[in-house]
Amino acid sequence: MAVAAYAQIDWMPMTTVPDGQDAFAAEAITHLDALYRGALRLTRDPDQAQDLVQDAYARALRYQHSYQAGTNMKAWLFAIMRNLFWDRFQKGRPPALSIEDVGEFSLYDRMRDGVTEEGPEDTVLDRIAAGEVVEAIEKLSPLHREVVLLVDVEGFAYKDAAQILGVPIGTVMSRLHRARQHLQKSLYDYAVESGIVPGMGRSA
Amino acid sequence: MECDDCVRRLDQLIDRELSGLELEEVQHHLDGCGDCTKRYKFEEGLKRLVKVSCEQGHAPAELRERLRQILR
Repeated sequence: MAVAAYAQIDWMPMTTVPDGQDAFAAEAITHLDALYRGALRLTRDPDQAQDLVQDAYARALRYQHSYQAGTNMKAWLFAIMRNLFWDRFQKGRPPALSIEDVGEFSLYDRMRDGVTEEGPEDTVLDRIAAGEVVEAIEKLSPLHREVVLLVDVEGFAYKDAAQILGVPIGTVMSRLHRARQHLQKSLYDYAVESGIVPGMGRSA
Repeated sequence: MECDDCVRRLDQLIDRELSGLELEEVQHHLDGCGDCTKRYKFEEGLKRLVKVSCEQGHAPAELRERLRQILR
């Protein structure tokens, strides 16, 4: 019996590791498009994005023992990629505080003041092209960009975003709020420049 | 609930992070407040626009192939 038990223990890893690896690899690759698009937003460069994704997968493979099957693999992969981004592409840890502050800025309020007949919710968003939104996101500071990426684009819950970023949920919320204000300010500037809404105060 | 309280919770509302009594109170306020409802729909529309704008495109085929090799 003892021999059988020993044999079984000795034998188990040899079969479970390859099977586990296949399952791991198969699931990991399903998140490739999301990771690549995320990497593009973070690095703003297709070549660097490819490098970042490849390095993230290599690291994921190396640390796959620390991934618990059945938990959120996409969040785990994003955490790896995000940390690599800060280590390698930003050369260090993210700064503790974010940069300049636009103050309270609401695109809705500006639009409502500028657009008279229809509500802003009906008109303005339809006229903003996807490329402009991407550009506005890429203009954000990296700390703001990554939280918008995680919550708005990837739809992570605050608690998952907090885990990926290694910060408390309250920090996710305040950073996200700031990030959205910066984003709205950029989109507003674009909307004014392109004549989607009249500029306030200057052209009137 | 006043408009200010509702507006303060709009981020959490569009991110589906409200639950229980807080969610009920916000929904109740929205039912009776056209201004906050418009603002909510605008913020929600903007969130959707951000998502849709960034979801275009796929990873390059050569990257996918390289990763297949790595993950083998």
